[in-house]
Amino acid sequence: MPSPDKSSPDRPSAGPPSSELRDLAPEASGVAALGAAALSLFRSARELYSVFVSTLYYCVKGRREPGAVLLQMYEIGNKSLFFLTVVMGFIGMIMVFQAGQQAKRVIPDLTMLGATYLELLVRDLAASIAALMLATRVGAGIAAEIGSMVVTEQVDALRMCAADPIDYLIKPRFIASVLMTTCLIVWSAAVSFATGMITAYSMFDVSPETFMNVSLVDAGDLATGLAKCVAYGAAIPVVSGHSGLSTFGGSEGVGWATTRAVVNSSLAVIVLNMLISAAAFLIFR
Amino acid sequence: MTSPAGPGTAARAHGGGALASSGAPPAPPVKRPRAPLAQEPSGVHQLGGSFLQIAATVGGMAVLAGKIAARVATLRVDGAEFMRNLYRMGVKSMPIVIVTALFTGAIMVIQAAPLVERFGAHGLLGWGAGFGTLREIAPLLTALMINGRVGANNTAELGTMVVTEQIDALRVLAIDPVSFLIAPRFLAMVLTLLLSVIFADALALLGAALTGDLLLGVAPAVFYNGLTSGLLDIGDVTSGLVKSVVFGVVLALSSCQYGLGVTGGAPGVGRAVNATVVASAAGIFILDYFVSFTLD
Repeated sequence: MPSPDKSSPDRPSAGPPSSELRDLAPEASGVAALGAAALSLFRSARELYSVFVSTLYYCVKGRREPGAVLLQMYEIGNKSLFFLTVVMGFIGMIMVFQAGQQAKRVIPDLTMLGATYLELLVRDLAASIAALMLATRVGAGIAAEIGSMVVTEQVDALRMCAADPIDYLIKPRFIASVLMTTCLIVWSAAVSFATGMITAYSMFDVSPETFMNVSLVDAGDLATGLAKCVAYGAAIPVVSGHSGLSTFGGSEGVGWATTRAVVNSSLAVIVLNMLISAAAFLIFR
Repeated sequence: MTSPAGPGTAARAHGGGALASSGAPPAPPVKRPRAPLAQEPSGVHQLGGSFLQIAATVGGMAVLAGKIAARVATLRVDGAEFMRNLYRMGVKSMPIVIVTALFTGAIMVIQAAPLVERFGAHGLLGWGAGFGTLREIAPLLTALMINGRVGANNTAELGTMVVTEQIDALRVLAIDPVSFLIAPRFLAMVLTLLLSVIFADALALLGAALTGDLLLGVAPAVFYNGLTSGLLDIGDVTSGLVKSVVFGVVLALSSCQYGLGVTGGAPGVGRAVNATVVASAAGIFILDYFVSFTLD
């Protein structure tokens, strides 16, 4: 009977399906593991870049298929509406509550609460939190769908018909996602501002007229927010479509691709948020 | 009408030629009006259906929580499995926790930067970034990232086990699936999230301090002073940690529940993964609200 020591292999479902084959080689450790990680990071960055560029190319040169785009707009936009409304409603309440608590410790004057909150919402919060949620829902959906097409060899069939899967599969999702992410983010900003207003009124007695103060929102904030909408809307389908297309290893691979899509597109949102915020701060300060 | 409709019909039709030869000739099967099985429900019906579904899921999670609590209370938890899961969930999530935390801290400072410059409140930067990070953002974002990585993976794994009947095999071997599979994962996930949030708190503050230094010229010492000058107390840290435990419970329960409830083969696993990620993200935000209110 094999002793259950630490070298006992994981169950087949415990990770990327390829690990079983690679486990035959000794586990890389130390610098080797670091180098392998760096190499795989570099490789996936290059692949991502190529997927992005060919998506852009097919947006201009590819087939015209408004039906597919509309279908994806329904899938990405309408079906996320309820989820985003719930999440952003709660985020609005939490943020105003925390900000009020924070402000009360230094200045007991909460008249600027709404204006500051609205500025933050427009510049960062609405876009980032909503995009994280969309990365979860939309990214997982895209990766699962394309991944199961890869596993059942439908993507190979597409390639045999001389149709680029990026043109057929990723481009409609890309266009739909850029459009609908912007709409959804505007909607979720409205929702979380409304729930924030209710919270401020009920917890801190800030009247809605005082709370609804747009004096701090300037063109720079709006531009930053819109840039974020477009960037996240573009990044989510590209990243998760890439992890869907690089699925391997049967149905378990689809689960793994889904996980990777969620993680990578969330990371993409966070990194893009940092980059765009820093750039906006340096430009508009 | 020659075709008798009754419980025996299907069995007799499958019965073979002996019965068929004695009775009527094997005519093509009579088209009976089927009950509308998959009529698209609409409006109130759909609302009620989804409500019932949510209620069933939440109830299932509560039952699962009870089972886990019973196993934990009587110490019937597989130790080796717990350690293995802790390694797979905790140690392997380190890279994304590190990246998320550093960037989160940087974002907090960048967002606060215009306010800080407007009021010249450079000394308060540490407090402002620390307040938001410790209480809200670090637990929230860490939980979301771990949800994407660990929760989805856990659901896929349990779901595959259900689909390939490995869980039934465990039951046949008289091994309790809850104490062997579920309870260790539950404990490992809660502990992972708690430890990751502690780690992420520290790293996010480091990222914030570095960004403050680079972007606003606030020396790290000034940042540290703002952090520790008395405006922040230990309650802010523990508030974030309590949240992380609650998030861990939500994550673990929903991923285990959805994983065990997989039906419909391999596509069902994909659907369950999608559903669990969405459900735990929504659950995290909803509970965040209630925890924030009860703690203050």
